[in-house]
Amino acid sequence: MGEKTKRNLRLLFANLAVLLLIVYIGGPFVWMAVASIQGENELLRRPQRIIPQNPTLDNYNYVFTGKVPQAYEVKGQLRSRISQEARLIAPALKNSFIVAISVMTINLILGTPAAYTFARLRFRGKRPGYNFILASRLMPAMAVAIPYYVIIQTLKLLDTYLALILVHLALTLPFTIWFLTLYISNIPREMEDAGLVDGCTPFQALTRIVVPMMAPGLVAGAAFAFMTSYNEFLFARFLTQSIASQTSPVIIASISGNPDASYTLISVCITLGLIPPLILAISMRKWLTEGLSASITFR
Amino acid sequence: MDANLTMQSVRVKARFWDRVYPYISVTIPFLVIALFTIYPVLYAVRISFYQYILTKPKAHPFIGLKNFTEVISSYYFKTSLTNTAIYAFAAVVGVTIFGLAVGMLLNSKIRTANYLKIIILLPWAIPTVVAGLMWKWILNSDFGIFNGILYSLGLIESYIPFLADPTLAKISLVMAHIWKEGPLAAIFVLAGLQLIPDELYEAARIDGGGGWRIFRMITLPLLRPILLIIVIYETLTAILVFDLIYVLTGGGPGDSTSLISWFAYAEIFRNLNLGHGVALAIIIALITLMLILLYLRVIRSEESVA
Repeated sequence: MGEKTKRNLRLLFANLAVLLLIVYIGGPFVWMAVASIQGENELLRRPQRIIPQNPTLDNYNYVFTGKVPQAYEVKGQLRSRISQEARLIAPALKNSFIVAISVMTINLILGTPAAYTFARLRFRGKRPGYNFILASRLMPAMAVAIPYYVIIQTLKLLDTYLALILVHLALTLPFTIWFLTLYISNIPREMEDAGLVDGCTPFQALTRIVVPMMAPGLVAGAAFAFMTSYNEFLFARFLTQSIASQTSPVIIASISGNPDASYTLISVCITLGLIPPLILAISMRKWLTEGLSASITFR
Repeated sequence: MDANLTMQSVRVKARFWDRVYPYISVTIPFLVIALFTIYPVLYAVRISFYQYILTKPKAHPFIGLKNFTEVISSYYFKTSLTNTAIYAFAAVVGVTIFGLAVGMLLNSKIRTANYLKIIILLPWAIPTVVAGLMWKWILNSDFGIFNGILYSLGLIESYIPFLADPTLAKISLVMAHIWKEGPLAAIFVLAGLQLIPDELYEAARIDGGGGWRIFRMITLPLLRPILLIIVIYETLTAILVFDLIYVLTGGGPGDSTSLISWFAYAEIFRNLNLGHGVALAIIIALITLMLILLYLRVIRSEESVA
C-alpha cells in the first residue's frame, strides 16, 4: 500500500469516526424533536419511523392551549393517555427563567467585585476567606439537603422563587468568584495601576478599567451561572411544592414518572425544556469554550 | 490653611474607605455562602449522632456512632460501594478516552470536525435529569428507538430490555454518563492540545516520528496535567452521581445500579431514616475530601515539575 492510499484511508476512518460521534451526540436531541411531532400511535409502532409520516403540531397546541389532539380521539384512546400535567411545562419554563436570570444577574453583581478584591487587593483574612469559599462546594448535596430544607422553612420561603434563588446563589457564587478571580489575575495590571495613580478608588478601577477588559469572562461566567441554576434538580425538587415555583427539570421528571402521560407529550415537554440551554450553548459556543479552556489552563 | 485641612481630611477618609472596601466587596457573597455551609454542616453532623427516623417523630435519642456502624455493616453498603467502584472506574476510563479521542479529532484539520464542534457542548449544557430521561426513552424495551434501529438493521431478533437486565443496565448508565460528561473532557483536552506548539510536532516529524510515536512521546506527556485533572474531577462526579440514576434506573433492577449517593437518597427519602442517610452522606464527603487532597497534591507536584 502506498503512502497516499494509507493517508486517504486514515482520513476516511477519521471522518467516519466524526460522523458516528455526531450521531451519538446529536441523535438523542433530534429524536426528541421528531418524537414530539408524531401522533402517539405512530410513535408506538415497532419499529418506529425515524422520519414521521404525518408530522403534526397538535401536541404543542395541546400543551399551550389545551386543545386535545385529533389523533387521540380518532383511535378511541381519548383522555387515557392525555395528561393535564403536561400543560404545566409552560409555567415551569417561566419559573426556570425567572430563577435562572435572577441567579445570573446577582452572580455578576456580587461576584465581580468579590473576584476583583481577591485577585488584586490585599487585606487581612484574604487567603482563608478565599479557601473557605472554594471549599464550601465540596459538601455532597445529599448531606446538606435536609439542613437546606430546615433553613428555607425557618425563613418561611418554601415554594417561593426566593428560596431557589438563595440556594442556587450559594451553589454558583463560589464557582463564579473562583472563575472571575482567575480571569482577572490573567489581565495585565498596568492600566489599573495608571488609574490608581490618577486617584481612582479600587471600585472605580474595577468598573471603568477592568470590567470592559474582562467582558468575555463575564459572559462565560454569566452563562455558567444561568445553566447551573436552570439545570439544578435535587434542591429544586424538594424546596418547591407547587407550580408556583416548580422549575422545568422538576416538572419534566414528574411528568415522565406519570403513567398517564403519553410519550409524545413527554417528548414535547423535554423538547421545550431543552430549547433554552441549547440556544445558549450554540449561540455562546465561543465564549463557553474559551471560558472552559481558561478554567483549566490558566494559573 | 483651611484648604489644607480639608485636603487632609479627604485623604484620611479615602484611606479609610480603601481599607474597608475589600471587606465590603466580599461580605454579601461570603454571608450567603456561609449561611448555606456552616449551619448545614453542623446540623448534618449533629443528626448523624442521633436516631432520626421520620416514622417515629417523637423520639430522637442520642446514639453515638451507631448510625455509622449500622450503615457500614449493612448489606447495602457493601453492594453500593462495589457498584460505585465499578461505575466510577468504567465512567472515568470511558470519559477520559472519549475526551482524548474527541479532543484530538476536534483539533485535527478534518472538515467534518467543524460540525462536531458546533454540537459537542450540547449534552453538557442540559439538565442531567432530562439527559437521563432522553436515554431512558431511547433505550425503552417496547418502543425505544435504539431497539427500533437495531431491529431494522437486522442486528437483533427481538427488542432488548436494556434497563431491566443488571449488566445491560450498568452499561446503559455508563453510556449515558459518557454522553453527558465526555464533551467537557473533550473541550479540556482540546484546550490542552492548543497549548502545544506546532514546532514540536514539526520537529518530531522531521526526526521521522510516526503518528503513534508522536502521540506517545509528545501529545500524551504534555497533556498529562490536564488528563490528571479530568481523571480526578470525573472520579468525584461519578461518586456523586445521582440525577442520572434517579430517572434512568432508580437504582434497579434489584440493586444493580444502587450507587452510594443513591443509597443515601433512598435512606433519607424512602426509608425516612435521616440518621442513616446523613451518616452515609458524611462518609461520602470524607471519601471525596480524600480525593480532593490527593488532587491538590498531584497538581502541586505537577507544577513543581513544570
